[in-house]
Amino acid sequence: MKRCAKCSQKAVVYLPHHRIALCKEHYIEWFERRVERTIREFRMFSKDDRVLVAVSGGKDSLSLWHALHRLGYQADGLYINLGIGEYSNLSEEKAKKFAQSLGRTLHVIRLKDLVEDIPTIKEIEKRPACSVCGNLKRYYMNKSAKELGFSVIATGHNLDDESATLMGNVLSWNLGYLQRQYPVLKEGNGFVKKVKPLCLITEKESALYALLSGIDFVEEECPYSVDASSIEYKLLLSQIEEKSPGTKLRFYLEFLRKIQPLLRREEKLELKPCSICGEPTSADVCTVCRLKQRLTLSGKGQGS
Amino acid sequence: MKLRVQYRGKELELEFEGDKVKARDLLKAMNLSREYAFVVVNGEVVEEDYYIKEGDQVRVINAISGGWG
Repeated sequence: MKRCAKCSQKAVVYLPHHRIALCKEHYIEWFERRVERTIREFRMFSKDDRVLVAVSGGKDSLSLWHALHRLGYQADGLYINLGIGEYSNLSEEKAKKFAQSLGRTLHVIRLKDLVEDIPTIKEIEKRPACSVCGNLKRYYMNKSAKELGFSVIATGHNLDDESATLMGNVLSWNLGYLQRQYPVLKEGNGFVKKVKPLCLITEKESALYALLSGIDFVEEECPYSVDASSIEYKLLLSQIEEKSPGTKLRFYLEFLRKIQPLLRREEKLELKPCSICGEPTSADVCTVCRLKQRLTLSGKGQGS
Repeated sequence: MKLRVQYRGKELELEFEGDKVKARDLLKAMNLSREYAFVVVNGEVVEEDYYIKEGDQVRVINAISGGWG
């Protein structure tokens, strides 16, 4: 039986890449300190900022919101109902209950009221569901944060998300995405500052924190993400990690330290307001307005 | 021995030979790695060599989730 490195009580968690075993109480403390350090190291935000947490009802976003609240940050939530049947209803219910338990505000918006629900959009959209869904979530997170007066948007992206994304972008040498893959995206050009305070926390660490903190999170997977390539990359990376603990963290941190500064020097993305909605875009009309036009033309759009 | 396992909002029934099953064996039977999954028995996170007994409340958490957020 492993003992906690801090108090010698029975350990409930062993973290191979940090070579540390911890009891419940000290694991929660370790997790929150790591989040706090990440926020400071990357200069994400301070206790004066109003932070909007993008909440899905899953372990990552609820763990993030819980940790920020306990660390004394002013963090409220934004839940975007994607209209994916029972999955969305259950996620919304858990997000609402969690907000109530924290005593913080959860802002709720529905894609069906703004564009269309994901199943309807999927009928006319060739891009993978995760791609179009991510695009819509980023658009409405940014728009909502501005309308509600938040200075920072925090998402629950963790180390596994970031290292799998990095792997995907490296495999296709997608320089545009690699340039923007950083835990802090500064405000400006119509964008609210966006941060990822869990970027150095693994998915398992996040699930353990949620469980040990008594958070009731959605375990069901989104039905559209079943064949997502990100899952394949995560499984591949986990095989390497099992043989060589610390690989994921090194892959991501060394990218940030050695490659990111070189890529950012080359960054020349010019943004302008969308001619229809005014949100930032690199084209004349942003992807969300183009999607709305196509929905209208196909007879599936709002008001068509 | 039969185990009822809570997994991603569903209840699975798994059958094992003999009357002793380690948490490690359960993860293996579900084709999951300790890298991203763990076993919770009667509300407590357990180590891989923990013996699960028939009648225990067993939950398996698979932390991997998909999508490009």
